[in-house]
Amino acid sequence: MYRYDAIDRAFVEDRAAQFKAQVARRLAGEISEDQFKPLRLMNGLYLQLHAYMLRISIPYGTLSTTQLRKLAWIARTYDKGYGHFTTRQNLQFHWIKLRDVPDILDHLASVEMHALQTSGNCIRNVTSDPRAGATAEEIEDPRVWSELIRQWAALHPEFSFLPRKFKIAVTASPHDRTAARLHDIGLLMRKGREGLGFEVIVGGGMGRTPYVGPTIREFLPAEHLMSYLEAILRIYNRHGRRDNIYKARIKILVAQLGAEEFARQVEAEWEAIDRPSLDLPQAEIERVRAGFAAPAFETLPGRSDAFEAAKAADYALARFARNNVHPHKQPGYAIVDISLKAPGETPGDATGDQMDAIADLADAYSFGEVRVTHEQNLVLAHVKLDDVAAVFAGLKAIGLASANINLVSDIIACPGLDYCALANARAIPIAQDIAVRFANAETAEKIGELKIKISGCINACGHHHVGHIGILGVDKKGEEFYQLSLGGSAAEDAEVGKILGPAVPADKVTDAVDQMIEVYLRERHAGERFIDTYRRVGLVPFKEAVYAEAH
Amino acid sequence: MKAIVANRLIDGEVVYWNHGAWKTRFGEAELFEADDAAEAAVAQANVPTQVVDCYLIDVAPEADGYAPTAFRERVKATGPQNHPQHGKQAEGGHDIELIKQAHGIARSAGRHNLIKLKK
Repeated sequence: MYRYDAIDRAFVEDRAAQFKAQVARRLAGEISEDQFKPLRLMNGLYLQLHAYMLRISIPYGTLSTTQLRKLAWIARTYDKGYGHFTTRQNLQFHWIKLRDVPDILDHLASVEMHALQTSGNCIRNVTSDPRAGATAEEIEDPRVWSELIRQWAALHPEFSFLPRKFKIAVTASPHDRTAARLHDIGLLMRKGREGLGFEVIVGGGMGRTPYVGPTIREFLPAEHLMSYLEAILRIYNRHGRRDNIYKARIKILVAQLGAEEFARQVEAEWEAIDRPSLDLPQAEIERVRAGFAAPAFETLPGRSDAFEAAKAADYALARFARNNVHPHKQPGYAIVDISLKAPGETPGDATGDQMDAIADLADAYSFGEVRVTHEQNLVLAHVKLDDVAAVFAGLKAIGLASANINLVSDIIACPGLDYCALANARAIPIAQDIAVRFANAETAEKIGELKIKISGCINACGHHHVGHIGILGVDKKGEEFYQLSLGGSAAEDAEVGKILGPAVPADKVTDAVDQMIEVYLRERHAGERFIDTYRRVGLVPFKEAVYAEAH
Repeated sequence: MKAIVANRLIDGEVVYWNHGAWKTRFGEAELFEADDAAEAAVAQANVPTQVVDCYLIDVAPEADGYAPTAFRERVKATGPQNHPQHGKQAEGGHDIELIKQAHGIARSAGRHNLIKLKK
């Protein structure tokens, strides 16, 4: 993976030292909370219900085992022994003390980590494909371009005070695992006659006004990526609204101008700006590309007799292989998903001890690298088929062998009202309740792919808009209620779900999910996933089933 | 009935005002009958070098004590449901049990001056 150069290292160390001085001045009363708040947010530090929360950046979801062990150590030393992986491929600690933050940032800097670009109206951590560099689907490793964008954005003074936060996703596979069309900018790598390039999508987003972003350019030669991003950001910086926080995201500007007019303005800006000074020299692209060179794969047969025999002997391993193990571009290797969704546990949480154990497994079996998915799971991207059984056994020993990737209990949930100062309702207990109801692995496999996503408020950190079943916590006359939606998708067929009907009380949510699954099982044609059946039969049968019971 | 809640600046701990001092448990909070007395106490309590996010909450009588009316404030006074060993609930005690068993609608409008405070 990419390693910091001297500029990266000096920048991160400087920012940690700078924040240390700012914390000291705040504690001494030399600056007010109003003055301090934007400074702490620029360093990923929020105040939540019970304590401060520190959100640590995991650029494009890639971690070295050294970094993961450091996070485990921070969890044990400064938090309550665990961390929470987020839908932006980051990690949050929920019980942080302000007085400890300067030391934590120093420890993070020592392993090339920081909490920059995890908050504030800047370009946030870039989302990328957790299977980057491992899947045969991709054109090239999208992290090359994610890292180039990270370097460009982190040091860009012009785009540090945007009208609102700004999120970019990069993927190079036809199967989108980044929710690219729901980002401020989604970059889909394409291979054209002219070489590598990107389809450029602008103005997607969730929150209170969800949009699937339109394509504003079908093919942008990759070597012009930086100047084109600069043009988009300049149009947004110039015309994005700063008077109303709810209308400040670029999606509102794109929707109001129309995609065509927005694209015209971007193209005009792009024509006018000094491209050669903004686009990266090929040597720099190659330098970063070298940071993502493939690891030293062994030459192996495509089939592992040991793995096949182990699966035949162990039904649980066979199930794990069906759901959590995916094809790799290199014969004899596999991509292994680690589910952080054991039924009854908190989606996305991992203890420090689990993180250490995962780091050990990654060192032993996956070239010392771990990925974070936006669905709050982890990935060992390069595991030999011969070693999958050993990885499975290692995961079982730490309670992380749930074979439920993409199944009903693989639920995204934001921290909700159990932690978050913005939430209207709890999300975690709802996810736990649903996952426990469908904990039976055979039932879950029979239901098949079903993406349930839960947010505790309209800010949609839990991506409810794009859940096959979306669940949004609302405050209805002072009580926690949950609005259900159906038919969303964050994948290449991105779609915003449709609201099913009136919100239901907390104790009816799992029943409602159960009723919708019953409708699906009754109506489905052979080979149809939940979302396919919904698309064929529409909302009505699901609505009838839920509201016949719930009201 | 009202109480004053804040987060302690240095560590974020949830604290409640009681006659000139900050306490860590809701059961130790000073309760105000009169709105003007409560407002005056907030002005005294909100010392920026000690606390952050200081505001009044509504409190209502329960069987044998008091609990915050807002569900949000009940969570703040006890801890997260997914980790019962974390937060103030870990210590247990009468005030925690009372809040956990508080019935009736937990009004979310328990926080006063929300818009003013967020400006």
